[in-house]
Amino acid sequence: MNAVCFLLVFLLSLTFATQAQAFGFDLLKNVVKSNVAGKNSAEGKQNFNWRNPSQQEEILIGRQIMGNLLGSAPLVRNETLQEYVNQVGRWVASQSERADLPWRFGVIESEDINAFSAPGGYVVITRGLYRKLENEAQLAGVLAHEIAHIVRKHHLKLLQKSRMLDMGSVLLGRQLGKGNQIIQKAIGSGAEVYARSLDKDAEYEADRMGVTLAIRAGYEPYGLPEILQIIGQTSRDESSVALLFKTHPHPDDRLIKLDDAIGNQLDTITSGKTMSKRFYRLNYQE
Amino acid sequence: MINIKFVFLLFTTFIFMPGISLAGETGSALKDDIIRVEPYTDAKKAGEMERGDRLEIINKKGAWLNIKTAKAGGWVRLLSVKRGGGGGGNEAKGVLALASGRAGTGKVVAASGVRGLSEEDLKKARYNEAEVRALESYTKSAGQGRHFAHKGRLKAVKFDYLPESHEGGKK
Repeated sequence: MNAVCFLLVFLLSLTFATQAQAFGFDLLKNVVKSNVAGKNSAEGKQNFNWRNPSQQEEILIGRQIMGNLLGSAPLVRNETLQEYVNQVGRWVASQSERADLPWRFGVIESEDINAFSAPGGYVVITRGLYRKLENEAQLAGVLAHEIAHIVRKHHLKLLQKSRMLDMGSVLLGRQLGKGNQIIQKAIGSGAEVYARSLDKDAEYEADRMGVTLAIRAGYEPYGLPEILQIIGQTSRDESSVALLFKTHPHPDDRLIKLDDAIGNQLDTITSGKTMSKRFYRLNYQE
Repeated sequence: MINIKFVFLLFTTFIFMPGISLAGETGSALKDDIIRVEPYTDAKKAGEMERGDRLEIINKKGAWLNIKTAKAGGWVRLLSVKRGGGGGGNEAKGVLALASGRAGTGKVVAASGVRGLSEEDLKKARYNEAEVRALESYTKSAGQGRHFAHKGRLKAVKFDYLPESHEGGKK
């Protein structure tokens, strides 16, 4: 039995080391080292702390998920746009209690109207949604909603709840030596996590937090509600919102919930800016 | 005799939306609410609207929309109104666009090369390391974020997270 355990750990170390080189990613190497050295159960699970991942592990999980999503919809080839979105996003994320994460933002090639976040600080919005934006405050509001999901670890909890990560651990134990990427095995290829709904309450919470973070960053508070109003006008039959409407409460319901939360609390906030002039606008061809 | 209402309408049109037609933006009431004479919580009541009432959106000021229903006109909270919904005209370019200086720029959604992101696409998605690296190459530090905010004269504001209900505590 001990010999089997030893062999498992040895194989794991080998595979992890190969993966770390493949990624060229020191962070992964460190995480793997510490986990392989730190713990291993008789079942061959728990080499990666899926149940309660460290920040580094969370980033690795998010990186894999975001990598899968980007495989389907790559970044828009526009450096100015990507730089701009990262500047806005970083400033908003700095207003959260997880300002220490390495926040990354991007606009991806899709005419769908949607935005996605992955654990550890990865946030992207589709070009279709970006086109709907009219000022920087609205962009800040949309990014802030996604930032809130990461701050509250909503997707991480969904992964854990759906046992996708546990299944990954089982695979990890069974399919050693196949040469596939360990994390990919555990998470799976595809980005199906985004086809699943979070709890409605998680979405409402991200809306409330999103409005708050935008306010903290000095923006006009109604950026996110305005975008919800604009999206709410889109017919449910339009394919561009099919996924968004499937996985989120309808914008009307979100607006009603926001109204419940806000009441007249924002009446005193008069210094917020829309930053309309600075907003980076896509031209027709983009 | 000059129609006073007409003069008033003309006057408000010039005050709020110089040179831009207001026609076209419609919406409906998301909830029962009081319509006020001015955009303030304690302003005098101008009337009421009921959930589902059709309305015309005339102007926006902060958290408030100036609206007109079949029964009354005045100001209601932005969050009490659903924009659009079969009033005719191009509702995508409405008052909110005007308020943000986006009027007349004519947003156009690309008609060709449309690429969606369906459930099926997500299932088939294959990991792309090069794209992740590209995404990570744009990472900004907290200091760079502050610098960007400073350039735009954005100032951080202290504000607690909104509770579930403004009436205090959780429902």
